[in-house]
Amino acid sequence: MTTAALPQVPGTRDPRVSRTSRVTRFAGSPVLRLVVKRLLMAIPIMLGVTVLTFWVLSLIPGNAAQQLLGPEATPEQVAQLEEQLGLNRPGYVRYGEWLRGAVTGDLGRSIVSNQPVSDLLGERLPVTGELVLLAFVVSLVLAVPVALLAAHRPGGVWDRISMVVSTAGLSVANYVLALILVLVFAVQLGVLPAIGFTPLSEGLWPNVRSLILPSAAIGLPLFCFYARFLRGDLVDQMQQEEYVTTARAKGVGSWQVLIRHAFRNSSFGLITVVGLNLGALIGGTVIIEQIFALPGIGQMLLQAINTRDFIMVQAVVVVFALVAVVANLVVDLLYAVLDPRIRYGSR
Amino acid sequence: MSGKQRTATYPVGDSYVSEGVIAAASSGPAAPGPAGEPGEPLLVVEDLRVQFTRGGRRINAVNGLSYELLPGSMMAIIGESGSGKSVSSRALMGLLPPTATITGSVSFAGRELIGMPEREMRELRGGDIAMVFQDPARSLNPTMKIGAQVTEAIRLHSDSDRKGAHARAIELLRMVRLPAPERRFHEYPHQLSGGMRQRVMIAIALAGEPRLLIADEATTALDVTTQAQIMELLVELQQRLGMAVVMISHDLGLAASYAQDVVVMYAGRAVEHAPTATLFGNVRMPYTRALLGAIPALEREPHSLFEVTPGQPPDLSALPKGCPFRPRCPNALDRCVEMPPFREHEPEHWWACWNPVGDETGNGEQE
Ligand SMILES: Nc1ncnc2c1ncn2[C@@H]1O[C@H](COP(=O)(O)OP(=O)(O)O)[C@@H](O)[C@H]1O
Ligand code: SF4
Ligand SMILES: [Mg+2]
Repeated sequence: MTTAALPQVPGTRDPRVSRTSRVTRFAGSPVLRLVVKRLLMAIPIMLGVTVLTFWVLSLIPGNAAQQLLGPEATPEQVAQLEEQLGLNRPGYVRYGEWLRGAVTGDLGRSIVSNQPVSDLLGERLPVTGELVLLAFVVSLVLAVPVALLAAHRPGGVWDRISMVVSTAGLSVANYVLALILVLVFAVQLGVLPAIGFTPLSEGLWPNVRSLILPSAAIGLPLFCFYARFLRGDLVDQMQQEEYVTTARAKGVGSWQVLIRHAFRNSSFGLITVVGLNLGALIGGTVIIEQIFALPGIGQMLLQAINTRDFIMVQAVVVVFALVAVVANLVVDLLYAVLDPRIRYGSR
Repeated sequence: MSGKQRTATYPVGDSYVSEGVIAAASSGPAAPGPAGEPGEPLLVVEDLRVQFTRGGRRINAVNGLSYELLPGSMMAIIGESGSGKSVSSRALMGLLPPTATITGSVSFAGRELIGMPEREMRELRGGDIAMVFQDPARSLNPTMKIGAQVTEAIRLHSDSDRKGAHARAIELLRMVRLPAPERRFHEYPHQLSGGMRQRVMIAIALAGEPRLLIADEATTALDVTTQAQIMELLVELQQRLGMAVVMISHDLGLAASYAQDVVVMYAGRAVEHAPTATLFGNVRMPYTRALLGAIPALEREPHSLFEVTPGQPPDLSALPKGCPFRPRCPNALDRCVEMPPFREHEPEHWWACWNPVGDETGNGEQE
């Protein structure tokens, strides 16, 4: 905002203003700098997360050899398998080995099944991806109109109803909600399957049908959160921002002020929250996949922890961390695309 | 001019109008006054009061404000920060939050604005009555292009199509002398300087061809040179388009240079009102005197506040009994515990004081 106060003459030498051609705007653009910065920042994050995971796993009693052989195995048998799997070497050696592979894109093989990790991820990621996407879309599509309705008349009937509903929704843990949903829709009404996943190859509807309850269990609290956040931001815009008064002074109707003017500005805040949420959300799928017996990446994580398959655990942790990093990057990029103040670089 | 309600006006003596129609028009409850006739005020504010309720506390922001404004004239409303200038002008446009309770009367071209249904009010807003605000950095929508913000106003008050609105927007931007209007049309507010943004705000205000433009500290946030340019522009537009302008300012010097009439506000009331020359030649209110004394004419800083005026501005949730200026007034008498009436004591010169400057006899109110 500081530069904006200065008179700007066409052809001024201020680089932030004279950046008119598309090419020059991109080359030194804040967008490109942003991407590079974020990717550099991702390196220590990924290292930290994987080291931490490795260390925590080593603290849990038992290892993959014991898990594979079962409680009946003699110590000699276990020791032999440990040696075979390379588990008897020090932790930092094994981490170093894993890391060397990982940076070249080779995430290794599962200790337990000896299948390549990338194959397993390829099977499981789409299930989790679909679940998360569905939960996201549904929660956002519902949250926006509810927030608009509530913010149109703060303290009004709709505002109070949505406040009660969202408070309730936010105070219920998603696994409790999952059990309630199963009880009502699967057990009592019998309209939806309680557990299991039907792949897309068996038709769109059967596929979506198998994901309705799990995505509702994830999406409903999310919907409450988004609706509440957006409502709050909209009310702030409407009550505190002078451009809203300008719009009203022009004769713009109250709904138009809300949708055309306030919502446009509030959407930036919403994007941030959605992006920050994505990391937490994907973590939340672990328990939901377990409850609904969905063959997703979360379920795989639990199995891998049970069998002390540290290679598999690492793979899932890397995916989770990557999702969080990429989501943040996408938020910043969306900002850059949507907010003219950044797009045309003024600050 | 939109002429929405002027079509219903029957000038007295119009040969096409029968006596009966005149009688019907002037006796009917919805009959508009003969607005636009010389001598008839465009805006009559009478005993306007605004009270905010906040956290159980009542804030009396406007306390019986009265003034009249002639069509096509430029009037200044001045007063310290917090004297109710913005609140009173927003009240008449129906722009206050629901926490405000508004009473009194504001008649615009014969129509009562207080209590007017929202639908009707919306037609007037940005149509016959427009407003420009203090901070041009905040009063434009940062996420919308200049052009979209101007055409929005145009399309709300005319039935022009996209192309027509575009052409009209360029015309308006040219009228407010925004440099390179075609290019600026496609730019965002942050790409413009403060002065340019305020020109855009004025263009938006002009979109509905208003009969009244309220400029609420429209030049306060600008540097001195730009301030003068914007004021010149407002004066030029006022004369060219024949619209009335209310310029709200805490800057007495600015008011003196541009306005024909000045209303001085204190604690939500008008305390002195006169044509500019009369007012400055013959100040009667001790408060106005204090304002002038606080600003030595030559060394006056362009944005100086009235910091030399002794004492604190009044607490609007606990106003003293009688004249609100009493705790700070050098002329105060015992009688000042009664509220002095706001009257036209001399031709065209109104004030509200028991012991005015110039005839400190102790019984200034001769009646
Ligand atoms: N929305 C509001 N709620 C409560 N008090 C308000 C509100 N808006 C203005 N006020 C109060 O009303 C008084 C007059 O304000 P205002 O008209 O903005 O003064 P100014 O003469 O500086 O324009 C101030 O004391 C201000 O705090
Ligand atoms: S009425 Fe009394 S207190 Fe008020 S301004 Fe006049 S002299 Fe001062
Ligand atoms: Mg003000």
